[in-house]
Amino acid sequence: MVPPQLADVFVELADTLVDDFDVIEFLHVLAERCVELLGVSAAGLLLTDQQGALQLVAASSERTRLLELFQLQTDQGPCVDCFRTGEPVSVTDLPAAGRWPRFSAAAAEVGFAAVHALPMRLRDEVIGALNLFDTEPVELNSGTLRIGQALADVATIGLLQQRAIHRRDVLTEQLQTALSSRILIEQAKGVLAERHHLDLDTAFTLLRSGARSRSRRLSDLAQAIVDGTAQLSSPATARRPS
Amino acid sequence: MRLWRMVVAHAEHGPAAAEHVGAVAVSAAGVDAAAVAVVLDASPRETIYASDRFAAELEELTLTVGEGPGVDALADGPALVADLTAEECLVRWPVFAPAAAKTGVRAMFALPLRIGAIRLGVLDLYRAEPGGLDAGQVADALVLADTIGVLLLDEAERNRSRPDGSWPEHTGAQPPVVHQATGMVIVQLGVTAAVALIRLRGYAYANDRRLRDVAADVVARRLRFDADSDVGGSEGLDSG
Repeated sequence: MVPPQLADVFVELADTLVDDFDVIEFLHVLAERCVELLGVSAAGLLLTDQQGALQLVAASSERTRLLELFQLQTDQGPCVDCFRTGEPVSVTDLPAAGRWPRFSAAAAEVGFAAVHALPMRLRDEVIGALNLFDTEPVELNSGTLRIGQALADVATIGLLQQRAIHRRDVLTEQLQTALSSRILIEQAKGVLAERHHLDLDTAFTLLRSGARSRSRRLSDLAQAIVDGTAQLSSPATARRPS
Repeated sequence: MRLWRMVVAHAEHGPAAAEHVGAVAVSAAGVDAAAVAVVLDASPRETIYASDRFAAELEELTLTVGEGPGVDALADGPALVADLTAEECLVRWPVFAPAAAKTGVRAMFALPLRIGAIRLGVLDLYRAEPGGLDAGQVADALVLADTIGVLLLDEAERNRSRPDGSWPEHTGAQPPVVHQATGMVIVQLGVTAAVALIRLRGYAYANDRRLRDVAADVVARRLRFDADSDVGGSEGLDSG
């Protein structure tokens, strides 16, 4: 079944691909839409760094345990296999499959049974993977996987920021900038969590709504917060960490 | 590992430092000269390594005119310039580009030494021949820039050497928790991101623990860094 809002999502994503758009925000929106459209529990986008390892760049939720699960795939996991082979990887029952013992154990801890990884391709090169998790051990039908692949392709396009990438060094530079932005956002989350006594999830929400209301890029606002040149007021719904 | 062996070989018996990595960068990236400039908060740009007089002069030029790939790289990420005499370069750096070309440099590659919000400086690579870097050269240069960043942090940590000759822990590839903890320590100590990360690394080193484990304690609020504590962190929960 194709959810009715598929066309809307593509229009929404295409609309954000204007000059000087915020690539990190774009990838976050894309990860969230993957969850809604594909009916999975969580989605994340991983990119290759200059050393050929995969790093998380955006996720549908900022739950720390989830981020760690994505990030765990530097040396083993479905995304690593997908990245190396360029082929999609689908495992509907992780414990039964018996692959990637360390990754499977971590996924089970967070409550995930099924995992999918779809390649992000640029011509003959794989630059990362779209990672989907489900709490139920169910297969995704071929139509759903096709939509997932289309979203992965859109992510690749967004990442290249509409620039014609002719040379590998420009691509490396783009990937590096995206990954560096992700680190910046983590640093800013820490600053906000400490200053306003928030958990890290709430800190991210605060950062993101702050960027939206100021029409600033997530990474620019994050930089200003870490540098101390921008402040965000604590949200009324501030939660104390337990 | 190949690159790190080259760095260690350059360092001979002493601890590896930015200058050794710079020397390796020259051969790994196939350029003629390299320089490392650091830009710490509230201090002007300072050249801490130049492979030769040529590189030192170009760093001096960047400092004097206040523009160039080496300036842009710090703010915007890697600036890879295949030909400084190209029209777009003359537009982008109207003073620097012609002046640099006059000294005989045609291609310049500036790589930021940066960990998220932490801006430590730039690795500048210079070549007399125009042309880009190939994929392997870019990857090597980025790894070496990252290594210089780590070494600079180490140096700030009173220059502890690594007797086992292992690759320094790459901060860029650390799990999210390390960067989150860096953010929290910025607020706890009222310091810059660079100093916060140095303190975390220092604490991990002094207590023989992994950086990520120390960071997890900070994020879980089991460990706090106090401004008046010299050693590093204080254990136990803080009520604040």
